[in-house]
Amino acid sequence: MRLLNILVIAALVTAAAYVYKIKFEATVQAEHLAKLRDEIRRERDAIAALRAEWAKLDNPARIQGIAKRHLALKPAEAAQYDKLDGLPERPPQLVTPDIEDPIGAIIEKFDEAPAATGSVATEAR
Amino acid sequence: MAAAKKGRFDFVRPLLYGRDVDRAMKARARIGLVIAAFALIYAVIGGRLVLLAMTSDAQIARRIATADNVATARPDILDRRGEILATDVRTPSLFAEPRRIIDVDEAVELLTATLPDLDAAELRERLSSKKGFVWLKREITPKQQQDIHRLGLPGIGFLTENKRVYPNGPEVSHVLGHVNIDNQGIAGIEKWLDSSGLADLHLAGFASDRQQKPIELALDLRVQHALRDELIAGREKYKATAAAGIVADVRTGEIIAMVSIPDYDPNDPRQALDKTRINRLTTGVFEMGSTFKALTLAMALDSGKVTLGSSFDARMPLRYGKFTIHDYHAQKRVLTVPEIFTYSSNIGTARMALQIGVQGHQAFLKKLGQLDRLRTELPESAEPLVPRHWGELNTVTIAFGHGLSVAPLQAVMGISALVNGGKLIPPTFLKRTQEEADALATRVIKPETSDKMRYLMRLNAEVGSAKKADVPGFYVGGKTGTSEKVVGGRYSKTKLLTSFTAILPADQPRYLVLIMLDEPQPLPETHGYATSGWNAAPVAANVITRVALPLGIEPRFDVLPSAQQILQATSSIR
Repeated sequence: MRLLNILVIAALVTAAAYVYKIKFEATVQAEHLAKLRDEIRRERDAIAALRAEWAKLDNPARIQGIAKRHLALKPAEAAQYDKLDGLPERPPQLVTPDIEDPIGAIIEKFDEAPAATGSVATEAR
Repeated sequence: MAAAKKGRFDFVRPLLYGRDVDRAMKARARIGLVIAAFALIYAVIGGRLVLLAMTSDAQIARRIATADNVATARPDILDRRGEILATDVRTPSLFAEPRRIIDVDEAVELLTATLPDLDAAELRERLSSKKGFVWLKREITPKQQQDIHRLGLPGIGFLTENKRVYPNGPEVSHVLGHVNIDNQGIAGIEKWLDSSGLADLHLAGFASDRQQKPIELALDLRVQHALRDELIAGREKYKATAAAGIVADVRTGEIIAMVSIPDYDPNDPRQALDKTRINRLTTGVFEMGSTFKALTLAMALDSGKVTLGSSFDARMPLRYGKFTIHDYHAQKRVLTVPEIFTYSSNIGTARMALQIGVQGHQAFLKKLGQLDRLRTELPESAEPLVPRHWGELNTVTIAFGHGLSVAPLQAVMGISALVNGGKLIPPTFLKRTQEEADALATRVIKPETSDKMRYLMRLNAEVGSAKKADVPGFYVGGKTGTSEKVVGGRYSKTKLLTSFTAILPADQPRYLVLIMLDEPQPLPETHGYATSGWNAAPVAANVITRVALPLGIEPRFDVLPSAQQILQATSSIR
């Protein structure tokens, strides 16, 4: 009976200590949470202020004024636009890319080409 | 105690105190009672602990939240591409607790030195009052806050409040509206926000967070800017008293841009009190002039009584009672229906309306929403001025846009319905999908009639009064409108209101551009004319040049169909 009482008292003390510890940790966590929330709110406010600032700087009227002052650009015209289909065919390539000396290759090509005009052309060379 | 414990607990007393009860039993019962009492006490303590553990966290958070939520937090307002049009930033406000102030004179002196715009006498009066709390100055800068904080005055403190800022300034003024010092919307979309539930939300204490879903408008900031820029330039060039313009999506009813010059900066709402700065497009009503001829022609063509091949006698001015209807560009011959449109013949349109009759005319305009107040998200709206007794003379004049005053936005809605395939879609300032628009749409004219109207509008840009608005590549169609303003009860010959309605591209219209100029003056380069084709149409052309590409309209130069081809595409040529 006495042993049981001692056991129960020990359990009670442990339980009390444990509850106190949990309670204390919970308070710390709650404070931490509140602090974090406050920080998040502050950051959000700062982001909002920066976004407002950005929107102000990004305002089309402002950009137009700066562009007019510093750039020689003009508004795009309809004639400057075309569809991809409207692109002309790619011009035939004179030089194949894997030759080491492309300019020499072109000259060689002309050299090799038989002169169509016969004797006159041969003399000229 | 003995007297009190009668009744239900009668069996307990003999058990605890009775003489004839066994001692051992009595002892056990007494111990049991003690155990029960202690258990109850512990249960109470435990319960209280749980309660404390649960509430403390929320209380801390609430303490932080209440410290800086005086003014309503409002959701951000974005344009259709996500650009910020209105947002909240936190600004400190200065308050005082007069009861806690020790030396009023010192406080007044130091505060006025830091904030020179504070009125010393008023400040002294406020600080000497017996109130617990008074505002001294709302919305001060962080620098000022720092300075005042350094003064170390007791009873002076700061609260951070939400302040509404409009980063684009006057660019988007009438659509957005503005808020009062307590961040409550008092005009435009801001007021609509409050009336659609934000105010209730705030009262319930939920609107304190920044995490509210932003509102997306149909507005495109780039288009809005281009429109405003061109309107300001146009107003200056033609020395008009006012200018206004709308760019609307004819297929969804979305308002892409809306500008009324002179406008105001919503960051400084006092400017809005100025009468000349009203939004002419929703709160003003105007006789739209020849623009209304489009409605008359659509009505006539839709009725089937008139076809594109019909012709009307415009040889003589139309006499009606003591009134005579003249043509501005008088041809003095019989005109076909397309000619009536391109020459903008008053006589021809009047005869056409008479053929339909007063009843039909009235019913058609009613169907197109021109006779009732148009309600949109904007709280400001004006009732159209409809003649009380609508006789034949009224039908004659209304046919060419005189005698009925409507809000320009209303006319935009009507004309959109004429060219978008015949569906009347209520305009909106909020983003709307095609499906939502289709669900709201009501059919008002046949699709074939709509094709014919497109043809007429395009023809007008090729050979008629809208030539100056024909921007190459975009296949613009349009109708000019010039009305004489009523001055002192009579129509004035010199004070004109010119408007121009453009659709683009005319074969498959996507956007409608309306330009209005109030009292434009004739210039040497307009050869002394001040009618719509000479001022509103070129302004519209400038706007279209600037906005068509950003709006995603592909310029077409190859196989550009002439007006005739719109008709050939439809099955209903007559």
